[in-house]
Amino acid sequence: MLGKERVIKIFNHEKPDRMSCFCVNGTPTYEQMEKVGAFWPEGHERAEDMAKLAMAAYTVLGFDAVRAPFCQTFEAEALGCKVKLGGKENIPGIDHPTLYKLDDMPVLPDDFLKRGRIPQLIEAIRIMKREVGDKVAVIGGIIGPFTIAGAMLDAVPILKASFKTPDKLRPFLDVAEKAGTMLGQALVDAGADMIVVEDMQASPDLIAPHTYRDLELEYQKKQVEALSVPVILHICGNVDKIIGFMHETGCAGISLEPKSDTKLARKIVGTNVVLIGGVDAATTLFMKGPDDVKDASREQIEMGLDVLAPGCAIAPGTPTANLLAMVEVAKEYTYL
Amino acid sequence: MKYLTDYSNIFTRYDLNIEVARQAARKVSKDELLQKVADCVVRGDDEESAKLTKEALQKKSPMDVINEGLIPGMNEVSRLWDEGVYFLPQVILASDAMNAGIALCEEAMGKAMDKKGKVVTHTAEGDIHDIGQVIVNALLNANGFEVINLGADVPVDKVVEACRVNNPVMVTGTALMTTTMTAFPKIASQLKRLGLNIPFVCGGGAVSEEYVTSFELGIWGKEANQAPGMAEDALSGDNWQAMRGKWNG
Repeated sequence: MLGKERVIKIFNHEKPDRMSCFCVNGTPTYEQMEKVGAFWPEGHERAEDMAKLAMAAYTVLGFDAVRAPFCQTFEAEALGCKVKLGGKENIPGIDHPTLYKLDDMPVLPDDFLKRGRIPQLIEAIRIMKREVGDKVAVIGGIIGPFTIAGAMLDAVPILKASFKTPDKLRPFLDVAEKAGTMLGQALVDAGADMIVVEDMQASPDLIAPHTYRDLELEYQKKQVEALSVPVILHICGNVDKIIGFMHETGCAGISLEPKSDTKLARKIVGTNVVLIGGVDAATTLFMKGPDDVKDASREQIEMGLDVLAPGCAIAPGTPTANLLAMVEVAKEYTYL
Repeated sequence: MKYLTDYSNIFTRYDLNIEVARQAARKVSKDELLQKVADCVVRGDDEESAKLTKEALQKKSPMDVINEGLIPGMNEVSRLWDEGVYFLPQVILASDAMNAGIALCEEAMGKAMDKKGKVVTHTAEGDIHDIGQVIVNALLNANGFEVINLGADVPVDKVVEACRVNNPVMVTGTALMTTTMTAFPKIASQLKRLGLNIPFVCGGGAVSEEYVTSFELGIWGKEANQAPGMAEDALSGDNWQAMRGKWNG
């Protein structure tokens, strides 16, 4: 069975031939870069390099899906935030000075989709679709409203405002949601089969669960409804306290770090949401060896996962052998 | 006949009861006014904290306001955080409320209060992903340490210079990436060369225990939550070897 068929079956809640394995977050590693001859920072800013690196998740690792981009800065940059690219080895990040103060009115530029590196990302998805789109699923990545708003305002001000003046965040969340949705739909139009929303700053590690419920949830819901393909929601850290609310967004899949309780998640979301997760990207995949990766993978699969995946973006120094070990474990779990 | 006056336990949606509502501090002060000051800190209300601190200073000494109002209030916040009742924004707001009061007390004293100790914090050179450091700063502040916050993407020399000038009990470095964490051993070796044997706690993202314990002074920080406990140990005089023995391995 082709990876793409496997993914389609899972999201249609049918049994595929075996456990699926792919990563909904960034996949490139230094070893993959060498193998496919595409590197950072070009992989963050040029369509051809980005597509080559993304497709390495299939050509080198044998994952069932490929995904772009590999950082969380595309929307923020197009909205006017300053971005530091990070050279050969690092992931781009948002730099100072911060774009807005809390009392400002944020603006969504009319030419949003033409700004920054967004045209390159859209083109990269087109290339991925053309090159491997019949064999594996193509995933487009966007950033959740709270995280984009955090980039516009900086972390400490948005955290304070989440308690003191939550209503002042609404215009920012509104612009952020519209920006993400616009980008998401453009990626779908370019060929993405699914959209992943990464919303790191909406984690209970940073904001209170009631802030997620009372403030962020309605924007995420709107975003999920607006996008015409299955949406996977990824929030870092332990999300036990908000997993029920994440389910309320109407997303087709939820991606978990192993810090969260996979069994609890399965109990709360039932069987109509695809649960994606598995191996801790830092402490296991990056730092341990293939045997530990296999043990961790099996343990998590048995807690009720539908897709075996790294818990978060793959650390670029992760050995290929560890990633291949995950795929091997996925092959052990056959359904036919 | 008995009448029901409290409806709070009826029709409670327990599925929505995800957090304990903002609460007043447990009784931390015998003095009513100072208890109110403590409550402001627990509520994270910096304006009210300043207002009540001013009132309290009419009747109490600045040190009493600090030690029997502001700091006990913050200790309550630490307890609520430890118990999972409070979240990061509440800790940051409570720190602001405490510091607003402390600033007024210091003004009244005509000098700065003695903090527990200083901690220099930074995010590694080349790395602008500083969310881990934001958490570390908030928790150290909340626990009464003076945080020398160098921010993100800080050159090695600047960290070393800040340590030389401030003589902190501890220094922390956070890095998301394995490529930027290579600044940490450089910082450690320069500190050693200057005779500054300051425990150097490194953590974040892909920073591994194996790597951090491969150079002198290094102690691996697994979670941001550990920072206050580690700073307490450093303050009590534990050297980096003792701290590594306790927190790592």
